[in-house]
Amino acid sequence: MWPSLQPTPEELTALWLSLKIGLWCTALIAVPGIVTGWLLARIRFPGKALVDGLVHLPLVLPPVVPGYLLLLLLGRQGPIGRWLYETWGIALAFTWQGAVVASALMAFPLMVRAVRLAVTLVEPRLEEAARTLGAGPLRVWLTVTVPLSLPGILTGLVLAFARSLGEFGATVTFVGNVAGETRTLPLAIYTYTQIPGGDGPALRLVVISILLALAALWISELGARRVERMLGNRRT
Amino acid sequence: MLDLDLELHQGSFTLQGRLTLEQPVSGLFGPSGCGKSTLLRAIAGLTRPQAGYINLDGIPLFDARKRIDLPPHRRRVGLVFQDSPLFPHLSVRHNLLYGFKLLPSAQRQFTPTQVVDLLDIGHLLHRRPRHLSGGERQRVALGRTLLASPRLLLLDEPLAALDEGLKQQILPFLRRVRDELRLPMLYVSHAINEILYLTPHLAVMEQGRILGQGPFLEVIRQDHILGLARSLGLENVLQVTVSRHEPDTGCTTVRYDHHELHLPLSALPPGTETWIALRAADVALARHPIADITIQNQVPGRVVGLRRIADRVLAEVDVGVPILAEITVKAIHDLGLMEGDTVYCLFKARAWHYLGTA
Repeated sequence: MWPSLQPTPEELTALWLSLKIGLWCTALIAVPGIVTGWLLARIRFPGKALVDGLVHLPLVLPPVVPGYLLLLLLGRQGPIGRWLYETWGIALAFTWQGAVVASALMAFPLMVRAVRLAVTLVEPRLEEAARTLGAGPLRVWLTVTVPLSLPGILTGLVLAFARSLGEFGATVTFVGNVAGETRTLPLAIYTYTQIPGGDGPALRLVVISILLALAALWISELGARRVERMLGNRRT
Repeated sequence: MLDLDLELHQGSFTLQGRLTLEQPVSGLFGPSGCGKSTLLRAIAGLTRPQAGYINLDGIPLFDARKRIDLPPHRRRVGLVFQDSPLFPHLSVRHNLLYGFKLLPSAQRQFTPTQVVDLLDIGHLLHRRPRHLSGGERQRVALGRTLLASPRLLLLDEPLAALDEGLKQQILPFLRRVRDELRLPMLYVSHAINEILYLTPHLAVMEQGRILGQGPFLEVIRQDHILGLARSLGLENVLQVTVSRHEPDTGCTTVRYDHHELHLPLSALPPGTETWIALRAADVALARHPIADITIQNQVPGRVVGLRRIADRVLAEVDVGVPILAEITVKAIHDLGLMEGDTVYCLFKARAWHYLGTA
């Protein structure tokens, strides 16, 4: 009755696919997320409220909605999707790259929020001190603002990675549920629960998901400790 | 050296004033909240004035009409705040070198060794800022700014966050910066002693306006500064020389011109020049010297002015220097005091207080 713990190759594929998409998603939004979070925290510019709203929209919409919008825009028949395909030969709909785009869109607001909070907590007087010491705006940003926001940046990256691992609605709407291409862990678990005799594989994938989440949390905790030490907030 | 004339609005606060500093070291004195910090931020480029200009050594840092506004990092104006924040993610050593490393070597005026020795912070180099005491932190902040080789050093209440003991420890370092590095400085404080410890040249600010500037004694005696001087107990200020201490009687004797005054016992070595201050309300006037009285100081002088201000009279008595005495209208009538009369100014020894040393 109790299923074997040995995952099948098909289940391992779903695991690696999830990891691959999660890492790509995290890498893709790292820099834009830091820049957007900082912009929203520190800079006043026209249309700020609109940018703020658009960035946060995926957080409050049902995930199917952004997924469907992606399909309309980036699908083979969509205005951007057709251009991408005809000019560069890039297809996003129903490919793992498309899954990266879908989860990046969903994870982006989490990243931005974490960074924005962290930047808000950086004492402006430190940045001012750096400026009077001769550092230009970009150097101040790179040597003071970003290093001091690292705890928040790290939190944002972990949240983004976790969000990508859990992404379901936008992914299934935009890139479908193609085994070996877009069937990530959550999609695989859902698929197994829909077929007779799928309980065993589904349970194994659930265990894998839990272990993966714990590992991510553990790694981020190690990273957070390093960062705190670097920032001098914790005794070495 | 520094020459500015500017207007700056921040909410309901307006800063407006002209300032020309010729002295290498000048003070900027005024009560808390009068706009001293805002003025320094404008000089450093952190706050933009709406109108006017700021020139440093003949180079425009800001000029509203010519649309010149050098960014802070290109002004080379050092700013040390009260409770200056050090970079928490860098060691003391890297804090010190932050500005130094950004500077082309031809523009570096001091070496790290020189600054570290001067401020006595060699033992702190490998520590993190959070492991420093308030006084150590302020010395590192000062060193960090010095190593950026500023053309002008702005010190914004650098001692305000420290307790009295620490202040006495840091002030000598500031004097060494003044004497050994010869860096132009503008020292801002609401404590006149600190300024006088470094320089007798100062500007006075109140409610966003620069009321006057020049040598301390000249500035503080200007009529339009009287109100501020009164609120601070600085209506009468004398520059005196300590002549001797008498611990037995609890008196220190000081000299000015050919007079001697008896003051509370001080720790200043004989021969030291210092400033002493007395409130106008603590001066009594008498027609004749009075025997059998506890008041230690009776100095003859001539009444040169009687001004009625509200319910009281401000009498100006020339005793070699002008002394202001605040007395009631009734007292004037009872004595029949007139301009030109000879009077004795009576000062209690304990009513004087020491301001600082030159």
